[in-house]
Amino acid sequence: MCDIIWCKKCDTVNYLDPYCFWNWEGKIKCAECGEVYYIHMIMGHMYKGPEPRPGEQPDILPLYADKPYDGYTNFPPGTEGKTRPYNCTPRHIYLGRADQRKFSIRNRPMRAWPQPPSAGIAGSQGFYWDIKKLSPEVWEEYQEKIKRGEVRDW
Amino acid sequence: MADPREVRLEDLPGPKSREELEDMKAPYEEYCRKIFDVGNEFIKPGALEGIRWLSCTMYIFTPHSVANLGELGAEIIKVEFPRVADPMRHTSPFNECYFYPLHDTRPKSGTGIGVLNANVNEYYISLDYHRKEAQEVLYKLVKMSDGLTECYRPGTFDKWKQSYRYLQEINPRFIYVWGGGFGYGPKAFGGSYDILGQAHAGLASITGFHEDFGGHPVKHSNWCIDWYSGTQITVAVLAALYWRRKTGLGTMIEFSQVQAATRCLGYGVPLYGRFGVVRQRWGNWDTMLCVHGIIICGKSDYPDEKNPQLRNEARYVMVSAFNDPDFKELCSVIKRMDLYEKYKTHNERVRAEAQVEIYREIEKWAADKSRSEVVRILTEAGILAMPVKNDKEVYESEHFRQRGTVRWMDDPMLGDVIAQSTYSTGLFSETPRRKFWDFRPVGADNIKIYHELLGYPISTIQEWYEKGII
Ligand SMILES: [Zn+2]
Repeated sequence: MCDIIWCKKCDTVNYLDPYCFWNWEGKIKCAECGEVYYIHMIMGHMYKGPEPRPGEQPDILPLYADKPYDGYTNFPPGTEGKTRPYNCTPRHIYLGRADQRKFSIRNRPMRAWPQPPSAGIAGSQGFYWDIKKLSPEVWEEYQEKIKRGEVRDW
Repeated sequence: MADPREVRLEDLPGPKSREELEDMKAPYEEYCRKIFDVGNEFIKPGALEGIRWLSCTMYIFTPHSVANLGELGAEIIKVEFPRVADPMRHTSPFNECYFYPLHDTRPKSGTGIGVLNANVNEYYISLDYHRKEAQEVLYKLVKMSDGLTECYRPGTFDKWKQSYRYLQEINPRFIYVWGGGFGYGPKAFGGSYDILGQAHAGLASITGFHEDFGGHPVKHSNWCIDWYSGTQITVAVLAALYWRRKTGLGTMIEFSQVQAATRCLGYGVPLYGRFGVVRQRWGNWDTMLCVHGIIICGKSDYPDEKNPQLRNEARYVMVSAFNDPDFKELCSVIKRMDLYEKYKTHNERVRAEAQVEIYREIEKWAADKSRSEVVRILTEAGILAMPVKNDKEVYESEHFRQRGTVRWMDDPMLGDVIAQSTYSTGLFSETPRRKFWDFRPVGADNIKIYHELLGYPISTIQEWYEKGII
């Protein structure tokens, strides 16, 4: 269940996600035309509003908005100035590709980045990763980290 | 005269005061620390040493059922399709790191972090069952193994002449596990995933917030049904091994993944059977106890963190105060004795409207407080309260560290990795679980198994490899 503000001015549906608006009073901005609406919700139900408050400052943006009579026109979460972003974005740096790391969170070496294949006969692999021999540059970096006191026990 | 229904602290066996508790606890704790000797598991024997098991499994559910045996000391041979391998290897969480290496044929895509913990301590070989040459190899392995777990679609191994009825002829002591989606029956040919099990078995419908709160049926973020049903298979295997000791005979175990989730329904099914009541979801509040749930606090414990999981979400607290004196104390802490007057008995409190009101008032009280403040205030008042911890806090927990539940290990291939699975499943004084390594590349042990164990010449193995049989 999710309440909406269907903007009369521009025919846009602004979605009010229940977790934010369950018990909420304030002003929200239409994602399309910027009209500001006052609402007061109690226990998930629209108690007052939506009541246009032209010219006033909004408190919050909708999470998502779309124009149902307009095919697929929509404002996904995080559209600058229109909708607010998901807070559950996994990382503060969202690269959208594999994050390749050579060291664990406590700065010890991990074998976690693409490397040339090194399989033996019929795909058999040696058991130990001799980091000094197989990844000398990582070994060097590791020694530097030790010197700088960045390698922790936990 | 004392009420005979009332249990008095003085009448119970055990300590009568905190001092007495500390006195009694200390020697017992010392004893536990000594016999479990966390961190020194490797000097003790494994309970299942001498058992050899074949794992023709994929993803989490069936691999985990075998990994349990490996952690308990059995020798496990994991069989993967050449070049393709266990698809779980390619399910690294988006934007997470990859573990090198995979295989010569797919050098650019490492094995993803999602595969961790499911195939512990195993030898890895590759084998294409379709090929005629493969059959002899598999039969040889069956002759010298105790059992096999597979997860192919129903009848697939039968079609390839390697189901229970064929393998039993070769080795009558053989224990055969088919772990599949639905098991035999009208729905036999559906594949399954953890989320499908949670949906199909009615578990998702009772998880999440009530519709009145904008809630939807919710699946658990992790594959808890995979891990859970895998463990159930392991229990079945141990029983089959015991049965074999008595009779000398093997067993076939058929395990449907979706059925495992039905067990988690608890009293939901008998409730329907008796009263026709369909259980509904009730979010973070308990349907049978009040107060006994999770509340949201106004302030995060880490307001300045960059990571949104810490910054925005470190503000939930589990609160339990369902018996009358505790509830009275809670009402006094939040300065709402009127609530106590209104809901003096548990029967009144546990009703839906009462819960809505009570939790809302607690959350109002917590609105200007951080999670740790709320926990501190309630704990000092003698009320059970626990922060809803995130993974970082679990990793940093002193309690888990001291018990070795979560620990770092130097994996021979992967280097520095953190391990919880093996060590989170109970301590053994004589035969502890242990983790030698997490996983290995595809076909990593082809020479070890085909040459050293089965005695095929290297030239034959090389030939199979070139032909794509292994
Ligand atoms: Zn508008």
